[in-house]
Formats: sequence, structure tokens, C-alpha cells
Amino acid sequence: MERSKLVVVAGFPLALDRRYHAETHMWVLLTGPGRVRIGMDPLGIETSGTLAQLSLVPAGTELIAGRPFGQLEAAKFVGPLISPVSGAVLAVNDEVAADAGLAERDPYGAGWLIDASLGAAAGELPGLLADPAEISAWFAAKIADYRFRGVIAQ
Amino acid sequence: MAESLRVIDFGCSPPLRSQTLWHAIGYGVSAGAPATLSFTRPAAPYVCLGYHSGTDEVDHDYCRANELPVLRRMVGGGPVYLDADQLLFQICVPARAVPAARRQALRMLLEPAVTSFRELAVTAALDDDLEICVGDRKVCGHGAGQIEQAVVVCGNLIERFDHERATRVLALADPAQRDQTLALMRRFVAATPVAPEAFQAAMISAYAAALGLSAAAGELTGTERTAVADLDERFTSGTWLAGADRPAPPDGVGPHVRQVKVRAGVWTLSATCDGAQVAASVVRGVVDQVRLRASGLNGSSHQAERALTGVPLQSVAQVLAGFGEPGRRLAAAFAAAEPGRL
Repeated sequence: MERSKLVVVAGFPLALDRRYHAETHMWVLLTGPGRVRIGMDPLGIETSGTLAQLSLVPAGTELIAGRPFGQLEAAKFVGPLISPVSGAVLAVNDEVAADAGLAERDPYGAGWLIDASLGAAAGELPGLLADPAEISAWFAAKIADYRFRGVIAQ
Repeated sequence: MAESLRVIDFGCSPPLRSQTLWHAIGYGVSAGAPATLSFTRPAAPYVCLGYHSGTDEVDHDYCRANELPVLRRMVGGGPVYLDADQLLFQICVPARAVPAARRQALRMLLEPAVTSFRELAVTAALDDDLEICVGDRKVCGHGAGQIEQAVVVCGNLIERFDHERATRVLALADPAQRDQTLALMRRFVAATPVAPEAFQAAMISAYAAALGLSAAAGELTGTERTAVADLDERFTSGTWLAGADRPAPPDGVGPHVRQVKVRAGVWTLSATCDGAQVAASVVRGVVDQVRLRASGLNGSSHQAERALTGVPLQSVAQVLAGFGEPGRRLAAAFAAAEPGRL
């Protein structure tokens, strides 16, 4: 897959060729008709702490927006990876499941999590940020907020 | 009037229930039950795997021979040995009540435990790795997780600690690594011999104050009782014990590595690469003890061990480069360590 161009916002890389779920920091990249790739953006990763382990549901599993498709462990805290879309898992990234650090090192590329087909009701992927200007503004505001609250370093 | 912090003291519980009772509270709080502080003490010793622990991290033959059940929890961390000398506590709150950033949530839910130790004149502190320590010794294990819409952090008051058994239950094929692990356990994990009743009372006050809630004794809801029965079944199933699917490492490629974390920044490593074998303990990024085996060292293994002791991990390859081709293989074995993932 072609590597996406990144911009840097307040020290964090941001890919503008995809959509974002504002609360979960999941990105969704359209890869074909009714098909998407899903991963976690660097802010979601940074605020989790050093990723220790990551587990993903197997291919074929139904995805429901707002429900977990895997678990992520960082700082001995196991929390859900929340799906931003409904559909079905087509493939999981075994490399990131074997080495969670890949999601830190290359969050927009080799650190992707799952490929999925979209459910019939997915339509225009409601609830996701799609406009690059809107995405940039959201990302910058999140960084400022996390820094203000001491969640991430200045 | 402040909302309530439900307090449940389960007393002594069989190993399985010492896990399933508080996991059931997670489902209860997720469904609307109040924030809950619970306590239990295992009636018998057992081993508990973290959510992502591999079953191969535990010596199952030893556990069977010593009638130690092996269970798996939903929260993080590695395999731990639990027994009646440990008072287990759990704080469970709605996920919306804690910051979304995990480290902040953990800090918020661990600080009252630190306050409780300090109330009993134990000079505990929450360090930068979010471990509760006295000096450089961990005095309280912890794990955390999200169960549906509830966040739970569990920990333990270690009244006495069986370092030997805590090490023995681990699957460690390399005797040198076992010795090093035990030495680090003794050095970096400490018991806190305070009165457990006083600790419980301090915990109740500290968590109620921190959460702005009014503590009140309570009991499980009907939904939670049902969840206990379901969890009893799930936690004893082979599927659950096997854990999450994990991709198998490529067979026969690269170094074989076994790492054990004793506390944050303190770990042991056993690794082999092309016939070169390393067993080492690492404290705060510095090689503490090391045992090296490699064909071609020709009697200089002790010299290499001395040269490595006290060396920062990032300088290991440079030091071993002075030992020729065997040194390069040993450096490759060392390089397989991933301290950040522990």
C-alpha cells in the first residue's frame, strides 16, 4: 500500500488521507469499495503509555461500531480497542499482534490493526471526521488539551 | 448527600472466587451499580495469569504437583503467585468517572492506596512507573482493565511474600535465569507487615475521599451473583485459560528469548542465538548479573561476564565486540531483549 503523506501537528505526525473517530483516536482508511483499514493514531497510542501487548479478534468476526475488536495492554491496563465502524473483519495484522510496538513506530503504515468490510448501513461513515481542515483542527486541539492536562509531555 | 462507595469484604475466598467475585462487580458497575471497593483473601495459594500472559510462562507441572490452580484474570500484568498472606483489593468505578488517558486513570485509582499505606506510617510512594514502592522495592502489585463500561484496578497488601515460590511457579528453563530472578525478587519485592484491618479501614477512607463518595457496606446485586456463576464457568474453561490468540513466532528464526519482569525497570533475560547463551539480570537499564556461554570463548567467559557487569544495555554490543565472533553472537542474543514490552 502506498505510504501516505504526513503533516506534523505540534510534534505529532498526522495523515490527512483518512478519517478519524474523535473519541477513540482510531483512523479509518478507505481501501476499496466497502473496504477499510483501521488503526490507531499516534495520540491514542501516546496517551495509552508504552504498548505491551495487543490482541485482535479473528478474521470473520462481526464488527459493531462502538464495540471492541480487540484489547490493548499498556502500563498493566487492559482496555478495549473500539471499532469506529460496523461490518466484518477481513484480516488482522499478525505482525502488530506479535509486536505491539509496531503500532507506535509506524501508526499509519505497518502498524495498522485490521482490514474490514463495511456493513450495508455504513453509508458515508457517519461520526468520523473526514475533512482535512477539520481533522487538523481537532488533532491540534487534542494535543493542546492533553498537554494542558499533563497527559502527554510538553 | 454524596453518592455511595459500596464496600464489600468477601473475606477468605477459594482461588477461583477470589477472582470471579470482583470481575462480576465489573459487570455490575458497568450496568449501573455504584463504584465499589472490595477485598478478599485467597483461602489457598494459586497462580494467576494476566490477560495477555502466555500459558507457557508458568510451570504447569510444578503447579499440578503442588496443587496450585492456574487462573487467568481480565486485567493486565504478568503471572503472579497469590496466597493467603496477601489481601487482595479492587476498586471499580464507571469508566466515565476516570480520565480517558490510561496513565491518568491509573494514577487516580492508585493514589488512594498510597495514602492508605502512608496512614499506617509506611513511607510508600507512587513512582514514575505507577508502582507503589517503598524506596526501590515494590510493596503492592497491581493490574487494571476495563470491563464493559467499568474500570477496575486491583492490587494487594503483601503481608508476607514467598519469594521462592513466586519464582518457582514460573517456567524458567535456564537455572541461571531462575537464580537471577529469585535474587531480584528478594531485592525488589517487599512485604508490608501492617494490620490488614487497619489497612482496609484506611483504604475505605482514602478511596471515599478521593472519589468524593460516602462509603457504605454493601453486597452483590442479583445481576452480579449471576455474573459470578457465569465467570466461574468461563474462568475454568480451557479456552479462557489458553488466552487471546497470539501469532506464533517464526520457527527457528532469530534468538529464543525468555524475559521476566520483577518490577518496572527490573527484569531478567535468558536468550540463545546461534548456540550462544545469555542469562542476565538488568536493573534500571544496567546489567546487574550475567552468565555467558558460547563456543569459541575459550575460557574467557568469566572475563566477558566481568566486563559486562555494570554496563548499560546500550553499551553491551560494544563491550562484547572485544570478544570476537562469539561476542557478536552473544550481543545478538542480548539484543533480542525488549524491556519496553515487559
